[in-house]
Amino acid sequence: MLDQSKFDKITSDLLKPIRINHSFMVWMGFLGVSLIVCLYAYSVQLDKGMVVTGLRDYVSWGMYISNFVFFVATSLIGMLISAVLGLSGEKWASPLARIAEIIALAFAAVAGLVIISDMGRPERLINVFLYGRIQSPILWDVTVVTFYVLISALFLYVPLIPDLKICYDKMNQLPAYKRNIYKVLSLNWIGSPEQIKIIKQSTRILAILIIPVALAIHTVTSWLFASTTRVGWDSSIFGPYFVTGAFVSGSAAVIIAMFFYRNNFKLQDYITEKHFDKMGKLLVLVSLIYLYFTLNEYMVPGYKMKKFDAMHIHALFTGTHALLFWSVQIFGLVLPIVLLLFKKMRKPLPMLVVALFVICGAWLKRYIIVIPTQEHPFLPIQNVPMNFKIYTPSLTESLISLAPIILVLIIITILSKVVPIIPVHETIEHLEETK
Amino acid sequence: MFKENIKLRLTATFLICFLFFLQLNAQRWDVPADKKSKNSYIKFDGNTAKEGEAIFTKNCKSCHGDLGKSNGIKTMNPAPPDLSQALTQELTDGELFYILNTGRNAMPSFKNTLSEEERWKAISFIRSFNNKYVQVLSKTDPTKSKLVKINCVFDSLSNKLKLNIIANEKTGVIPLKDAEVSLFVTRYFGKLQIEKTIRTNADGIAIFNFPKDLPGDKTGNVDVAIKVSDELYGEIESVNKFNIGIPTDKLGLTQNRAIWNILKKAPWWIIITYTSIVLTVGAFLLYIIFSLLKIRKLGEN
Amino acid sequence: MSEKEENPKNKSRREFIQQVGIVGVGSVLAGSAILAGINYDKKKSTGARIKVLTAENELLEIDRNDATKVGKSKAENLTALQKEGREGIPGKRWVMVVDLSKCKNARKCMSACQGAHQLRPEQHHINVLKMQESKNTPPFYMAKPCQHCDNPPCVAVCPVDATFKRPDGIVLIDNERCIGCRFCIAACPYSARVFNWAEPLLAEEDKDKTYNVELNVPQRKGTVSKCLFSADRLREGKMPYCVSACPNGVYYFGDENEDAVTNGTTKETVRFSKLLEENAGYRLMPELGTKTRVYYLPAKNRTAPFQDKDKLEAEEHLDINNS
Repeated sequence: MLDQSKFDKITSDLLKPIRINHSFMVWMGFLGVSLIVCLYAYSVQLDKGMVVTGLRDYVSWGMYISNFVFFVATSLIGMLISAVLGLSGEKWASPLARIAEIIALAFAAVAGLVIISDMGRPERLINVFLYGRIQSPILWDVTVVTFYVLISALFLYVPLIPDLKICYDKMNQLPAYKRNIYKVLSLNWIGSPEQIKIIKQSTRILAILIIPVALAIHTVTSWLFASTTRVGWDSSIFGPYFVTGAFVSGSAAVIIAMFFYRNNFKLQDYITEKHFDKMGKLLVLVSLIYLYFTLNEYMVPGYKMKKFDAMHIHALFTGTHALLFWSVQIFGLVLPIVLLLFKKMRKPLPMLVVALFVICGAWLKRYIIVIPTQEHPFLPIQNVPMNFKIYTPSLTESLISLAPIILVLIIITILSKVVPIIPVHETIEHLEETK
Repeated sequence: MFKENIKLRLTATFLICFLFFLQLNAQRWDVPADKKSKNSYIKFDGNTAKEGEAIFTKNCKSCHGDLGKSNGIKTMNPAPPDLSQALTQELTDGELFYILNTGRNAMPSFKNTLSEEERWKAISFIRSFNNKYVQVLSKTDPTKSKLVKINCVFDSLSNKLKLNIIANEKTGVIPLKDAEVSLFVTRYFGKLQIEKTIRTNADGIAIFNFPKDLPGDKTGNVDVAIKVSDELYGEIESVNKFNIGIPTDKLGLTQNRAIWNILKKAPWWIIITYTSIVLTVGAFLLYIIFSLLKIRKLGEN
Repeated sequence: MSEKEENPKNKSRREFIQQVGIVGVGSVLAGSAILAGINYDKKKSTGARIKVLTAENELLEIDRNDATKVGKSKAENLTALQKEGREGIPGKRWVMVVDLSKCKNARKCMSACQGAHQLRPEQHHINVLKMQESKNTPPFYMAKPCQHCDNPPCVAVCPVDATFKRPDGIVLIDNERCIGCRFCIAACPYSARVFNWAEPLLAEEDKDKTYNVELNVPQRKGTVSKCLFSADRLREGKMPYCVSACPNGVYYFGDENEDAVTNGTTKETVRFSKLLEENAGYRLMPELGTKTRVYYLPAKNRTAPFQDKDKLEAEEHLDINNS
């Protein structure tokens, strides 16, 4: 048996971040003010109409939709780290499971809001439930995203129950109402064998259930594009292409979160360099798979150069989007892979830099998937003003696109301030087992 | 500067000469002899000219310009002439009527857009610019059209429609010989002409080959319009329903189940797949929530 | 969560609302009758007599004060128009034939359409394009309305049944239901749809106008608009606005079931099948399987030359490798 002092140290280390301090207030204040600015931009859009965006009849999906795809993509990481690695017995990943789940829940929940910002008539959202046609990929998306948010929430909550009990027991300094919330949420946890059995079983069901649902959300999101006949979207590998891309941006998001939690919450003993090393290798793996799909996606039409495909390929490779395209491929994909192959680069700080590049690349990559296709329809764009032909996002639009990112940060920050981001119960259990 | 100016003038002069040459050589209208001698049954006077002016302004002015002012569109080839000029006024009424009916190149046919009366009134307006013009009235007596009777017999074997056109005069039944007969089938936006306009023979008989594949209504009925134009009896039109079309009862295009159809007409596979996925995942979620309640209950004891 | 269950419920609720509406109207009528009875004696004859034509075609003369204006409410009108708009005209399958050899880029179709549907100058339900397929093939003008596909990609992706296909072949949009997701715009391979990015031109004037789904007027901010084959005109037996406005005889319009199309300029009616047969008619991008209801006749023996000033724009769309 482990001695009591070690238990106490783990518990106090992991519970320490759960308090409201000065830096938290400053950070939340900053996020709050930024969010208000962005919401003002949205109120302008509601009032004037979507004319305030850079969108027009030909490029009618822009930043909002690429943002949406990015959010859905990033949320997929919860499934990979918590479910896939968990089920396959990769113990090293278990301290990261909750971080991944928090990211998944935040991004998935906000993805639903992103899509509302793209609607010309947001007040008619109810029509989707009143008159929904199940033949439309949007309906599938609404369905699976809702499921994914629910499952992610449960997947975060169920393993958290023992920890909530610990929070209730240990955090005597909290006001009574806050402790009561912990009490209610911990569902009379006493750690009896029956309770442990149910938790284990439920976690396992959720871990298995979340895999197909997570695959579904991003596959369905890719079908929003692949279900059309448009050049650049009309691709049969879009489902797996999007899913692998999702793991890339999600891994990067987890690495960034790991870095800040480790430093700000003083968790160096729990999120170790070994974790960064493993995450680095994971990022290389998923990036390589993504590179493989990217190669397929451009190589196949690029080899044949069919009339309209050629137009699209030229725009990306040498035309108006070439700079963006090559930057994304080189700085967001190839270079990170090469760098992370070196052990020296798989340390916290270099990894943070690489992950920031990867996540920016991942966002821009969605932009490149969504926009150029629409600038090259089958029939020429004529008899319209110049701004119909080339899409340039407006300031209002950019601010509105920023809002969900701020919202995600707010959710992640708050969640990490109310629950231990490293599973306390599991860490202790793990230590007991390895002893 | 000066030199260039001369150059410009020279070019312009040549161009004008060329255009003039073109105009002179503009193809003459090739009007069949029998059409040439056709005359109006309407007496041209101030009133008809005035009504004709309105028709002219609406249908002809955009190309031909104001009569007498030669301000029609010059850039067209051949340029639409000023109809008050000799080039037009030299033509017979029959020729003008023919030109209006058929059209050529850029000039459209007005056969379907203007009634015969309107066409003659337009000509009346054109003639009002010619004080030497003397009208020759047609022999047509519009009151006599009531005497005409059209008998139709359809031979379903050969798909021929035989028309016998007669006039019930006091003196007895007279067949209308050499009368122009046109056959139309009524469609939603206009009349579809069947074959060409033909003339009756000495017995007042005209035979049309009716197409075998023309759609009719649900039972195969079609509205057939027969238009007879005779020098003496004028114009007679009669519309009758005949059961000589292909019975057509096509279902609406939204009958079958399809991805693009409404929810109720969604393909079965999509309904089954969607519903079973929603129910399965929903059942698992309910089970989890049930398990959580169980945890709570276990803790109470 | 299941929308499958939502809909029947919702339908019965709509029926319920209708019934309530009828009962409501009925009781209002009854109420006014009673009220009229009470007020009967108070009412004084003004001496002003008016003539009224009854439904039975009787011409009556009554006192001005005895007459009550009878009319449907706005909501009832809207419901009736929506119902009619979704049913279409029975037994018809509308088709359009565009004869490219006659198009001179006069653009009367475009202006007539924009006027009728209250569109902004940059919004086109029908757009005359300057086309060139490849470097050595000749340029031509091509009028492009919505193709009213029989396998419409736009309708397939609509999440709320706002855009729909009618039994008579027309693809319409109900802007009272459209949520403005613009999936249909993304899905349309013919770029036939436009969006009301800003407040429509006549938003203020049309505030109280009943929405006509067959005309898509008044336009609404944040909703999609598109060519409707002038469904409102077809109901009146008239040809679409663009077809009637063309001065050059480019358009034929008619019913495939009748095998007849009528030229909008000359009003000449011809057999649809013969017209296509004799002129090698074709459809746009048949390889997409959209089964369009707009047919084209090739630009052979053009009645007017392609203008030099338009050549550059026509070339623009060519694959840069070819030119």
